[in-house]
Order: sequence, then C-alpha cells, then structure tokens
Amino acid sequence: MSVVGKQLNPVQSSSASTASASAAASAAAAAASISAPGNGDGNGSSGGPMGGGAAAAGASGAEGKRKEESNVSPEEVLNLTKITDDYLCSANANVFEIDFTRFKIRDLESGAVLFEIAKPPSEQFPDGLSVEETMLAAAEELSLDDTADPNAGRYVRYQFTPAFLNLKTVGATVEFTVGSQPVNNFRMIERHFFRDRLLKTFDFEFGYCIPYSKNTCEHIYEFPNLPPDLVAEMISSPFETRSDSFYFVENRLVMHNKADYAYDGGIIV
Amino acid sequence: MGFLTVLKKMRQKEKEMRILLLGLDNAGKTTILKRFNGESIDTISPTLGFNIKTLEHNGYTLNMWDVGGQRSLRSYWRNYFECTDGLVWVVDSADRMRLDSCRQELEVLLEEERLAGATLLVLCNKQDLPGALNSNEIKEILHLDDITTHHWLVVGVSAVTGEKLLSSMDWLIGDIAKRIFTLD
Repeated sequence: MSVVGKQLNPVQSSSASTASASAAASAAAAAASISAPGNGDGNGSSGGPMGGGAAAAGASGAEGKRKEESNVSPEEVLNLTKITDDYLCSANANVFEIDFTRFKIRDLESGAVLFEIAKPPSEQFPDGLSVEETMLAAAEELSLDDTADPNAGRYVRYQFTPAFLNLKTVGATVEFTVGSQPVNNFRMIERHFFRDRLLKTFDFEFGYCIPYSKNTCEHIYEFPNLPPDLVAEMISSPFETRSDSFYFVENRLVMHNKADYAYDGGIIV
Repeated sequence: MGFLTVLKKMRQKEKEMRILLLGLDNAGKTTILKRFNGESIDTISPTLGFNIKTLEHNGYTLNMWDVGGQRSLRSYWRNYFECTDGLVWVVDSADRMRLDSCRQELEVLLEEERLAGATLLVLCNKQDLPGALNSNEIKEILHLDDITTHHWLVVGVSAVTGEKLLSSMDWLIGDIAKRIFTLD
C-alpha cells in the first residue's frame, strides 16, 4: 500500500507524481511515500525477533502487552548494530499523542527545499494555514488516512537521486505536535545504516514539551564523508539504506518509526 | 582535579553551547533564528511551542532554542532554562507601548538562578522600521547598565536585512567560549 509521492522541486511545488518521474526532474530532488510495512501482521501482536542487542527485552509474556509497555532503553537502541527487524513498541505506546506533522530536508548551499511532506492540516491543530500547507494537504490526502493497519504512517520511503549523496550541508526538520499532557525528557535517537554499516547517529534531547504545542527541530549537519565505493554501492542498492527513529519520554520508548532510502532516482537502467 | 574541572573538560571536548532566544511575542525570535540559519523568512507564524536548530558554527555545536513569547506561554519558559549558556533577549524596537513589560520580563529572567551563568545578548530587532528606537535608547529603557550579574551586550539588528545579526551572535559565542572552554 504505497500511496503518495510528494516532491517539491526546489522551491516550486508540483502535483503528486510517481517517484521515478519526479526524481528525474532535478538534480537532487526527492520523493517519498508513506506506507504500511510489507508484513501483514502489524497489529502489535507480532512475536517476531527484535533486532540487535535489544532482543531480550520482554521477549515472553502477553505479546500485545509487551509491545505497549516497551522497556527498551535509550542505551539499548544506541548499541544496536543493525536495523531492527520489527517495531520495538506498538503504535499504541504513544500515550502523549505526539504527532509528526512535517518532514523537510533542505540544501544549505543552494537554499533549495529538496523534500517536504506534511500531514493534512485538517488533522492538525487549527491555527492559520498557509497556502503551502493547503497545497501539500491536497497531495497527501491519501497518504495518512487511517487504514486498518496501525503501523501505517510509521514508515517512510525516500527516493533521491545520486546527487543527494554529494550534498555538503543538509538541514533536516521535523515538526510535531503534542497532546493535552506535558511531555518531559523527550528524546530522539535516530540510527542510519547501510546494510549493517552504521552511517550516522542522532541523539537529541528535546526535554520539555508544552501541552498542545507545535514544535520544530532542524538538525543542520555536514553530510558524512563517505568513500566513493560505498557511495556507488548505496546508489546501486536501493532501500538497503535504512533508519530507525526512536522516541523516548522519560526513558520509555513511546514511538518507533522506520524509513528506507534509495539514491538511484533518475538513473535509467 | 575537581568536579568543575572535569565538567569543563567534558564540555570542551563536546564544544556544545545551548542558546535560548526569548522575548515578547512578535519580537522576531523565529525570524532571527531562521535568518541566522539561512532559511526563508517569508512565512512565519506565531510559535506555539519551540523551534530548535542544531548546527555547527565556528567550530562549536550550537543548540538554539526559540520558545514562543505569547503571554500564555511565558510561564513555560522556565522549562528551558537548564544548562543555558547564552540568553538572547529579542526586543521589538518599534513596539514602544510594550517596552515596559519587556523590561519587567527581562528583569525576572535575570534573577533566575538557572540562568545565572548565561551571557546576555539583547537584540534590538526591527531597526529597518522607521519608528524603531535605537540600541542606546533601548539600553536606557531596559536599564541594562544596572546589570552586574551577567556579561551582556546590546545591539541594534534587523532580522529582515540581516544587519549586525551575525557579528552579534559571534560575540555571544565568543563570550561563552571564553567562560566555558578556557583551559584551566
């Protein structure tokens, strides 16, 4: 159930298009789709093995319960040596109603927005809506509507062109809202792997979040300097570059999202 | 080697600074943050929470926090004081009506224990507006000369033109670096 590809050609928004077509449009343009994971069991009762060192965490007992009350620690996910096979908490673990409403990637050299995806504003808090948001909403109407699968929306697929790997400085923004409860010690840990090779770790403490707030965080970072043979392999191995994003509140895992990445957009095979 | 020395050494290795941007609503905190980071300032709406930027600048990792300034949000500011190395107080230089409450809010912050070690940078924003007071006038109104507890500097800036924004931020970073990362 791959639903929508949304691409902003640098600056200009275009209508939703297929990933390959949009990726060819400009040097480093991106497209993405949000979809349910391939396995059909995403109901929180999967007994599948968890990845890496965290596999021991609550491996027995009532399965549904286990995933809702995950006891995976930040230290455990920081020690993972590969992408997890499964989500380490259920979609229901998000008791603080933390909701990611926007992802954006920009190139700081050119200023171009390479990628932007936003949740339909109708599902966000009713504050002023920009034209841009309205336009995005039209494209994403399909993508985030609640299907029977509770894991829908936890997984994002990004498609970039090879030029993306040549970028020097990138800004990655997330925007999120929180519900009626204040959130303490909110921490994000993100692990990026190509196969079993760790490319990058983000570890950031947001700390406190105000009830009903809308917040943004942009990480501006130098692109890791990757050896040319690795870059070539990443380009020729679409979706073998993957990431896990773990979100903790007071050291409890409340959300786990996944993404995978291709860098072969625009290459005619 | 005392605890403080160990702490200093740890931070020196990390070279990380936490900078908090505060001020009344509509002062231009988010615009300043975006301008400083080379982002478009075309569409900025009131901040109903926080905006964070993490970036490398002059060899330091800066964590910049911009927290919404509406009256209803000010009671939450305290949640962001911890570990702050630099406080940027943003002033709407053209909003003469509210300079008094601007001074009061700043005075409360300067008495805050958890901000005691922070360097203060007062940015008199919107210098591009015709009715704007200059930084000397604002220094008087905010009683900045009375401040003895913090290193401070007041600068007239414009987030729209970018005037003096970079140089004043560089002063802030330099002052923090001198305090925190000095070799013992």
